[in-house]
Amino acid sequence: MNKANNHKITIGLPLMHHEQGEKRGFLPDFIYALEKSGAGVYLEHGYGSGMELEASAYSDVAPGVTFVSNDEAYQQDIVLILRCPSDEDLRKLRPGSCLISMLHYATRPERVKFLRSLGLKSISLDSIKNDSGSRMIENFRAVAWNGLEAAFEVLQNTYPDPGFFSPDRQAIQITLLGAGALGAYTVKAAVHYGSIPLHEKLAQENVPGVIVTAVDYDITNHARIMRGLLSKTDILVDASARVDSTRPIIPNDWLAYLPAHAVILDLSVDPYQQKLGKNYTKGIEGIPQGNLDKFVLFPDDPAYAKIPDYVRKENRRNVVSCYSWPGIHPRECMQIYGQQLRPIMRILLNQGGLNGINPNGRFFERAIGRALLSNYVR
Amino acid sequence: MSKKISIGFPIMREEPGEKRVFLPDFAKKLTEIGFEVFIEEGYGNSLDFYFDNYKNDNPSIHPLEHEEIFKQDYVLILRSLHDSEFALLGKDSCLISMLHYPTRPLRQKIMRKNNVQAISLDGIVDDFNVRLVENMKSVAWNGLEATYTQFEKYIPNLIRENGNPWKVLILGTGMVGKQAMEAASKLGKKERNYEHIRLGGPGAIVTNIGRNITYNKSQMIELLAESDIVVDTTQRYDPSKPIIPNEWIAHLPEHAIIVDLSADPYTLDSNPPVVKGIEGIPHGNLDQFIFEKDDPNWGITIPQSIPTANKRKAVSCYSWPGIHPESCMRHYGQQLLPLMRVLHKKNYHTLSPDGMYFERALFRARLDSYLKRKSGQKKV
Repeated sequence: MNKANNHKITIGLPLMHHEQGEKRGFLPDFIYALEKSGAGVYLEHGYGSGMELEASAYSDVAPGVTFVSNDEAYQQDIVLILRCPSDEDLRKLRPGSCLISMLHYATRPERVKFLRSLGLKSISLDSIKNDSGSRMIENFRAVAWNGLEAAFEVLQNTYPDPGFFSPDRQAIQITLLGAGALGAYTVKAAVHYGSIPLHEKLAQENVPGVIVTAVDYDITNHARIMRGLLSKTDILVDASARVDSTRPIIPNDWLAYLPAHAVILDLSVDPYQQKLGKNYTKGIEGIPQGNLDKFVLFPDDPAYAKIPDYVRKENRRNVVSCYSWPGIHPRECMQIYGQQLRPIMRILLNQGGLNGINPNGRFFERAIGRALLSNYVR
Repeated sequence: MSKKISIGFPIMREEPGEKRVFLPDFAKKLTEIGFEVFIEEGYGNSLDFYFDNYKNDNPSIHPLEHEEIFKQDYVLILRSLHDSEFALLGKDSCLISMLHYPTRPLRQKIMRKNNVQAISLDGIVDDFNVRLVENMKSVAWNGLEATYTQFEKYIPNLIRENGNPWKVLILGTGMVGKQAMEAASKLGKKERNYEHIRLGGPGAIVTNIGRNITYNKSQMIELLAESDIVVDTTQRYDPSKPIIPNEWIAHLPEHAIIVDLSADPYTLDSNPPVVKGIEGIPHGNLDQFIFEKDDPNWGITIPQSIPTANKRKAVSCYSWPGIHPESCMRHYGQQLLPLMRVLHKKNYHTLSPDGMYFERALFRARLDSYLKRKSGQKKV
C-alpha cells in the first residue's frame, strides 16, 4: 500500500526477448526491496532463468511475488524492463501506465512519438540525473571494462612478433575517440587491459603497459594528424557521443592506415539507419554491429552483409562490438542497476506512483522528474 | 517547544585568495529545513556578501562572534580548521569539513585528543564508494584553463604556426585524471575550444598513462620529450617517491608547462614522508598558482633536500575549485542539501549504516566510522 491512496501499485517485470545472449533480469534482493516498499510484483514466467535463477530464488525472499504470462506482466501499473521492448510489446501496456526502461529519448525520436501515441507515461533510466547532470542509473564502467577485455582477448592472438606477452614488445597504443563520460572510464579500463588479473600478470613479468591517446572532434577533422595516429594504433576505440551522427569520425578509407593486427572496439554502438531522408552511420565507418550472442567479428564475418549499401566497408579489421556491453556479465550488471535503482523505486512507490512525484521536490524526485517523457517532450 | 538544531559558519582563515563561503541561498535553504543558522561576523565579505544578504528578514539567521560559532550543533567549514581551533568546538558539536582522514594523520590525532565529532566531506561516499561532495571537475578544468591561458598569452587562439596539435600527457587515470582528459582535450575552456575549432585549429592530443608506463624511464623520457603539457593527477601507493624525478624534467621542451592537480604537499616529517609526484615543483595556493622558471617564490614551499635543478613553468594550486569561488560554493551547496536534511533528523551518534541512501553515506564519513574501518583493516 502506498501513502497517497489505498491502491496497491503493481509492477510488472517482463523478460527481455532479444538475442539469446541477453540473460539479464533484476535480482531477487531488488525484487524483495520492491515488495518491501509496498508494491505488488508480477514477474514473467522464467524471469531470471538466463542467470540460472529458479522461481524459488525470488519467491523465497519475496513471498508475495506472482509469476504471470508475458502479456500480464505488461498489464501492470508500472512496467520495469531494462532494454526498451519491441513496438509489439509496447502495445500491450495499458494507456496511462508507466514504462521504466532505457528509452534514450534524444536519439530515438520515433520511439518518443510512439510512446505518446499509446498514451503511456515513462521514465527513461538513462535520463535519471542528479542536480549536477550526472546519470544515476548507468554502467559505463562495465561498458568500458567488458569491451576492453574482449578487445584485448582478440589482440592477444593478432599481435605480431615478439608477441603480446613478450617483455620485448612495445607499449600497447590505444587511440580513443571521445573524451566524455564513457571515454573517461575507457582510459582506466584500457590501462588495465580490461582485466585486473591480466594487468597483474603482465606487470609482474615486466611487459610494457598501455598508452591511451584520446582525441576529440577537432583533431579528427585533421586527416594528416589522424593518419599518423592510426598507423601506430593497436586498438582503436569509439567512445564518442556525436552531435551529428550522419558523419563518421573515421571514414572507412582511413582504416587502411591501421596495422593489420589492429582491433576496432565499438563502445558507442550507434546504429546505421535511414530516417527522414538522412543516412546515419557509426562513428567508425564500415564496421558491423555485434550483440551479446556474437561480439567478435572478423573481416569475413557475415555481419558485414547487413551493413546498408550507403556505407563504405572495403577496409576492414577485426571488430569487437556489442549493443549491450554490460550484459556480458549479467549478474554483476544487474547487481549495480538494482542498487542504483532502489532509492528511485522507493520514492516512486512511497509517493503513490508518478502522479505523486514533484519534479521540483527533493533530490530523488527531481532526478525522476528529469527522466519523464512529459518533461522531455516539454 | 524543542530546541532547534543550530549550525554555525566560521570564516576560513586561509590565504587571502581563499574567498569561498557558503552562499546566502544555501543558508536560506537550511532554515527551510528547520535549522537555526549562525554566521560569523564578517562571513561572506570576501565574495562581497554582507550579513544583510544572508539575513534578508529571515528570523532563523543570526550573526555570532568567532568563538561562539564553534559551539553550535553543527559547524560547517569547507577547509579544515587549523590545529589550534579544534579545541574551540563545543562538547556536543559536530564538525563538517574536508578533513582528509587518510592523508592527515596528525590532524586525526588532534581531533581524537579533543574528542571531536567529525564528518569529513571528502569521506561522504555512496554505496559504490563514489564521493557525493566533490568538485573534481573544477580541479581539472580550472587547472587546465589556467595552463592554456599561459600559452594563449603569446599564441593567439592557441593556433601555432606549425599547425601542430597540443600534446598533453596526463599521469593517472583516477577521477581527476578522467576529468583532466576532457578538460585538456577542450583546451581548458569550452568557449575557447569552439573558437579554436572555428578558426581551423588542430586541437589537442591527450595521452593518458598509468603505473605500467610511468615506471619505465626510457618510455617516459620519450613521452616527455614530445609533450607541451604534463599533468599530475596521480594518487600514489608510495607518496615518498616521485613519479617524475627532477632529472627527467630536463627532457621536456623548454616551453612546456607542468600542471599539478594532485596538490600533494611536501611533508618530509610525516610518516611516510610525502613529496610531490613531479619532483622539484613548487606547491601553489590561491594567491599564487603560476610559477615562472625564475620565480623568486619557487623555492619557498620546497624543502632544501628536494632537487630543483631542472625547471619548467609550473601551475600548482592547493585548492583548484577556489579559483571560481561562487560557482564552486553553489556546487557544494547543492550537493550538501540532501545530506543536511538527514542531519536535521539524525545526529552524529544516531546515524546508521543501515539507514537510507544519504544516511549511509554520512555514516561512512564519521571520524569514528573511519577509525573503526582502519582498525578492522589492521586486524586483517
